[in-house]
Amino acid sequence: MSTKTMKRISIDPITRLEGHGKIDIFLDEAGDVANAYLQIPELRGFERFCVGRPAEEMPNLTARICGVCPEAHHMAAAKALDAVFHVDPPPTGKKLRELFYSIFYATDHTTHFYALGGPDFVVGPDAPPAERNILGVVKKVGMDIAGKVLKMRKDGHNLIQMIGGRRVHPNWALPGGVSRGITEEQRKEIEARGREAVEFAKFSIEIFNKIVLGNPDYVNLIKNDAYVHKTYNIGTVDANNKLNFYDGMVRVTDPDGKEFAKYHARDYREHIAEHVEPWSYLKFPYLKKVGWKGFVDGKDSGVYKATPLSRLNAADGMATPLAQKEYERMYDTLGGKPVHHTLATHWARLIELLFAAERWVELATDPEITGKEYRVLPTQTPTEGVGCVEAPRGILTHHYATDERGILTMVNLIVGTTNNNAPINMSVAKAAKGLIKKGKVTEGLLNMVEMAFRAYDPCFGCATHFLPGQMPLEVTLRNPQGEVIERLRQNLG
Amino acid sequence: MKTLVLGLGNPLLTDDSVGLRVVQQLKPLLAGRGDIEVEEDYWGGLRLMERLVGFDRAIIVDAICTGAAPGTVHTLSVDSIPTQHSASGHDVNLPTALDLGRQTGAYLPANENILLVGIEAEDVITFSEDCTPQVQAAIPRAVETVLAAVDAVGKQA
Repeated sequence: MSTKTMKRISIDPITRLEGHGKIDIFLDEAGDVANAYLQIPELRGFERFCVGRPAEEMPNLTARICGVCPEAHHMAAAKALDAVFHVDPPPTGKKLRELFYSIFYATDHTTHFYALGGPDFVVGPDAPPAERNILGVVKKVGMDIAGKVLKMRKDGHNLIQMIGGRRVHPNWALPGGVSRGITEEQRKEIEARGREAVEFAKFSIEIFNKIVLGNPDYVNLIKNDAYVHKTYNIGTVDANNKLNFYDGMVRVTDPDGKEFAKYHARDYREHIAEHVEPWSYLKFPYLKKVGWKGFVDGKDSGVYKATPLSRLNAADGMATPLAQKEYERMYDTLGGKPVHHTLATHWARLIELLFAAERWVELATDPEITGKEYRVLPTQTPTEGVGCVEAPRGILTHHYATDERGILTMVNLIVGTTNNNAPINMSVAKAAKGLIKKGKVTEGLLNMVEMAFRAYDPCFGCATHFLPGQMPLEVTLRNPQGEVIERLRQNLG
Repeated sequence: MKTLVLGLGNPLLTDDSVGLRVVQQLKPLLAGRGDIEVEEDYWGGLRLMERLVGFDRAIIVDAICTGAAPGTVHTLSVDSIPTQHSASGHDVNLPTALDLGRQTGAYLPANENILLVGIEAEDVITFSEDCTPQVQAAIPRAVETVLAAVDAVGKQA
């Protein structure tokens, strides 16, 4: 190929990912990867849609933003309203919220491992795409697993409905607590399902141990330099610096694992800023006190990750015994803290699944959980407030301001996936660099690039429309005039 | 023949809500039919599959993005929908979900008894509770399409 040729490779669409994410890979004159970008259409006009509405609508409204994690938005919104209305929920109210949230987490992480991220490992990264799905997992692990996964999900959804009172979007958490409590009979049901969830999580980790860790090729893949990024990590911790999904302080650790910052959610703007790139609709959050230095690793770059692995890296451990054991095993296996191997995020997600299930049982057996004081009524004039929770895909921040009647005047959201926008792009670029040399695309590129960003469990779309037609994964190489010179395709399952 | 008419969509994302609007109009029209349930839902993939359990036939109404003129009403079969997400993300596609459900022994409508009615959307990424004009105008046509399909169901039963 001639010098100064800039080739462009597009991967579109991305399998198993919602929305219309598209990857463009740009080659330099030598035919090596200059850069790779994941472009995501951001949903538009949410702030404008919200301003002028009563703030109390937000837990309900934001839960409808997204069909994937309505519970996370519901919780972050309720916490932001606690702050806006200057009210602190009673212990039973907080515990019920965390119980609800733990059930949601266990359900969501189950879906990701078995339906989205897990197939790459369990079925194998080299398997044909048509087999790298949940059916492939069932074929490999056994029929039994299908029923278990569906039951786990169904139990979770049923309990969320039982507690939240609605099948679809929850309408339950309110400023100052929740709208209703649970009975002893319901508690028993929640506890029984929670104990099953712990067994399910243990079983899932066993599968991972046997199939992934038992295979040196997979372990090498996890440790492969193409999937390593030494960035800052962010996650929410409790008073003992143990991971918590629902509440606590936000902790940032540096690439060496040392604490860099620990702050209350309300101070997020002192710590997080957002960088804008002309080619992306989505912004790139970074650590303000380090600064934006581009899409680069290291201590001098403000890029941070907010994933299950980041949360484990940012915490000193897990708050439940079985998850703590698995936490220690992961770090022992991968050479100590922090771990920067992106693909270990799948492992971290399973440890979080176990933690969520254990926490579910702990809360379901807490003497206060059936208490009758689950809400305090707000009496002060509303002003401004921030609420944060750990969404499965990264820390989720809701920030609202209202006038004295509680009518919204400002809304700012930083959603889970957005936190990881810069590292996702870096991971895609790094994987592509390892597999495209001198204009030659190594077989398996599409799989490997996909695996790089799928580890982040990114979520870009909140609409449910059909995307019709055959949708093969496609790489197109173009010359500077835009003519197609090569097209690689693989059909998806 | 026990039939589910299911509208899918996000009520806040402009044209993405069209499937919900179509079934809202269908509810009173089909109220007398004991063999038909008309519902709204928000999920694709595994949850959509779980929603179909126990029915002989399903008609699913949702927004669709093919590049055709906004408001075009398409009818599709499960086999002709995309390889990836049929509706909603972060989940498996509908054909995969149906396969998985059947493998676990769930009673589900056969693929040929699932009809997808897709209304071509213009905008599914802007927050608004209103559809764009052409999509709004297509709602009566989509309602007719479903009613015709429902009658076909009745005749075959």
